[in-house]
Amino acid sequence: MRPLLASTGVLGLFAALYLVPVVAPGQLYALHILTLALCYAVPAIGLNLLFGYTGLVSLGHMGFAGVGAYATALLMKNGIVGFAPALLAGAVAAGAVGLLVGVPCLRLRSHFFIIVTLAVGVILYTLFNNLDALTGGAEGLPGIPRPQPLDLGFIVFDFRRPQGFYWLALTVFAATFVVQWMIVRSDFGRSLAAIRQDETIAAARGVDVFAHKLAVFTISAAIAGIGGGLKVTFLRAAAPLSFELLESINLVMIVILGGAGYLLGPLVGAVLFIAIPEVLRIANELRLVIFGVVLVLLALYAPRGVCGLLAALRRRLGSKGFAHARHS
Amino acid sequence: MPAILETAGLRKAFGGIVAVDNVALSIPEPGIYGLIGPNGAGKTTLFDVICGRQLPDRGTIRFEGQPIETLRVHQRARLGFSRTFQECRVLVEETCLDNVLFAAQDKRLGSELIQCTTRNAHARQAAMAEARRLLALVNLESYADAPAASLSYGQRRLLEIVSVLIARPKILLLDEPASGVNPTLLNTLRDFLRRIYDERRIVLLIVEHNMEFIMSLASHIVVMHQGQILAQGAPAEVRADARVIEAYLG
Repeated sequence: MRPLLASTGVLGLFAALYLVPVVAPGQLYALHILTLALCYAVPAIGLNLLFGYTGLVSLGHMGFAGVGAYATALLMKNGIVGFAPALLAGAVAAGAVGLLVGVPCLRLRSHFFIIVTLAVGVILYTLFNNLDALTGGAEGLPGIPRPQPLDLGFIVFDFRRPQGFYWLALTVFAATFVVQWMIVRSDFGRSLAAIRQDETIAAARGVDVFAHKLAVFTISAAIAGIGGGLKVTFLRAAAPLSFELLESINLVMIVILGGAGYLLGPLVGAVLFIAIPEVLRIANELRLVIFGVVLVLLALYAPRGVCGLLAALRRRLGSKGFAHARHS
Repeated sequence: MPAILETAGLRKAFGGIVAVDNVALSIPEPGIYGLIGPNGAGKTTLFDVICGRQLPDRGTIRFEGQPIETLRVHQRARLGFSRTFQECRVLVEETCLDNVLFAAQDKRLGSELIQCTTRNAHARQAAMAEARRLLALVNLESYADAPAASLSYGQRRLLEIVSVLIARPKILLLDEPASGVNPTLLNTLRDFLRRIYDERRIVLLIVEHNMEFIMSLASHIVVMHQGQILAQGAPAEVRADARVIEAYLG
């Protein structure tokens, strides 16, 4: 009963999101903001798998998003391949860098690992900013084309228009959401949950902790790469500032705010953290000040983020059908 | 036929303290073995070295004739080593049933990643009946769907033991299973361990401080003192051994 209700709720939510451009056709600004939020929700899913489900904090995750972003940008800008293969290539590139970084770093424990991920993020940003021949340096890579329109006969999706790109971004998000769901609700996900709760037990029960961490780190970096590719295709330019340290911290904030270890946490966090401040026009000036306060409040009253708060509320109201039961 | 477990010249030191010193332990056949000794005798370190949580400075460990001292914890676990911890460890966020089912799961990364895409739940369903039966044996069936965090300390111990049993270990190492368990549960525990031995005929190696408990349970007692094996034999022999009395009283 419970999983059925939960999946119905999630399907309903996605249906509602797909219908937004139909219900509110004139709200182009709102669509723009929602698309931007989705561009953050995708890498946040990657970080959620790593941080929310496995308990590994990465403070440099936007660096991996950047690897995917530049790979996608280079392939599309030079007209080598279309959007979908370019995005996949970006995922592979980011995953490969994640794998290479993971091999030495994942041998470190807790806070040492966190510090190294911070350094990796800074190093990747420095590379984006300085490899002028490849990444265009501080100017970045402008003029990334939007994907070709998709003609289904009865309907044409034009990705140069806000509605079309919103649907594209939502579909990419939905695909990564399914990957997250498949991982979390599997034997692999249960091993990751065991590692988060107690590495010693996991190993004693036969889990190769290092191999599992490396696998999830690679997957997580690849998903971040997809998010990066989506973002630069949306903005039509890849710039190093999109993947700097502050953006990585923002990503961690999104995951914590939405609810680490909840399937819908990344989406909720991205909408709250990206969309609402954008709409209120406080994006750059006050976001960090306000969210500093919000973070303190979260730590005090809702350590499991908004989804955790909602789940607790539901439990208190006696309904057992809430959508995002933690790691089950 | 080689002994099930055999260590030779095993040594583990932490700085200047030699916790395990030249230990040659031989477990030739299935049975309930008790490992006793005063505090600081090196019992838990010996456990850690046998399970791979600590690597020995010197010495060999053979399991059914094969050297295993270089294998890592999860590799030994997959060979059939299971252990419980002195401080009692369970996955507190999971339900009791999930704790047991997790132990039964195939945890090789490759098969797990394949299972992600196939969503094959046969193995999990197949383990379900056995998991519930084991929980019922220790009177935890009514807690099957409750999180492990809601159990009392003694119940957690039982859950921990049940969880490792479902993986069908060949050697089960229990580190002070009776500590912190109230007298009523203690009887449940003793009956349960006996029953497990009768059913499975495996090696149970038990570190214990509760003398009455271990002497009435084990068929063979090994006494450790200052990192070395001081004496071994049937419970009655060991109890009468002058050196053992000396070590405990002196």
